[in-house]
Amino acid sequence: MYKTVLLPNRYKKLGWALLIPATALGIISIINGFEWLKWEVRVPALINSDLLVPSCVGCIIKTNVVNTLLGFLFIVGALLVSFSKEKNEDEFIASLRQSSLLWAVLLNYSLLAVAFLFIYGLAFLQVMLYNMFTVLIIYIVRFNYVLVRSNKSAV
Amino acid sequence: MKNKIKIERAIAGLTQEELAKQVGVSRQTINAMELNKYVPSTVLALKVGKVFHKNVEEIFTLEDTD
Repeated sequence: MYKTVLLPNRYKKLGWALLIPATALGIISIINGFEWLKWEVRVPALINSDLLVPSCVGCIIKTNVVNTLLGFLFIVGALLVSFSKEKNEDEFIASLRQSSLLWAVLLNYSLLAVAFLFIYGLAFLQVMLYNMFTVLIIYIVRFNYVLVRSNKSAV
Repeated sequence: MKNKIKIERAIAGLTQEELAKQVGVSRQTINAMELNKYVPSTVLALKVGKVFHKNVEEIFTLEDTD
């Protein structure tokens, strides 16, 4: 009856297993100014632009990949958590998903609009950094909140 | 849209869980419908009607605000 493009439910656990450590380590990284742990590796870069070295397109660079990996794992984890089916996925849960997604996009861009008006300089770079992740964070929080609430009211 | 699912369910002696199983949705969905928090799809409304052996209009009725 209800068709969906979501992943099977088992991917949700995998998503949490990536998302929770990535979030915890990400917070540690933010607190320590992003240079808390060094793991310098040679990686292929589509584009690398830096103030100190000449820019390059399609080259191999040596860089600290700790924050790269954390950001990547966070996004993969958050996508799996967000877009894996619930055990009892049905049309009502789909409606909760839809409203949460609308909510997340609206709240995210409202916050960003306020930040555009009132935050300037380097601090705005921080806003952009967090804003890369906030749509998914707001969606996950809001969706799980309404899910738990509908579970409770059903008792 | 109003509905008489709770009444029909009581007449049929079904729990929310049992009705949910018969129409293939979660218990939360039945509960949200009974509380008028969720308007079901046509397919789900027809399935609910089928369980109670009634036409959809006998269970679901439009309100003035619809």
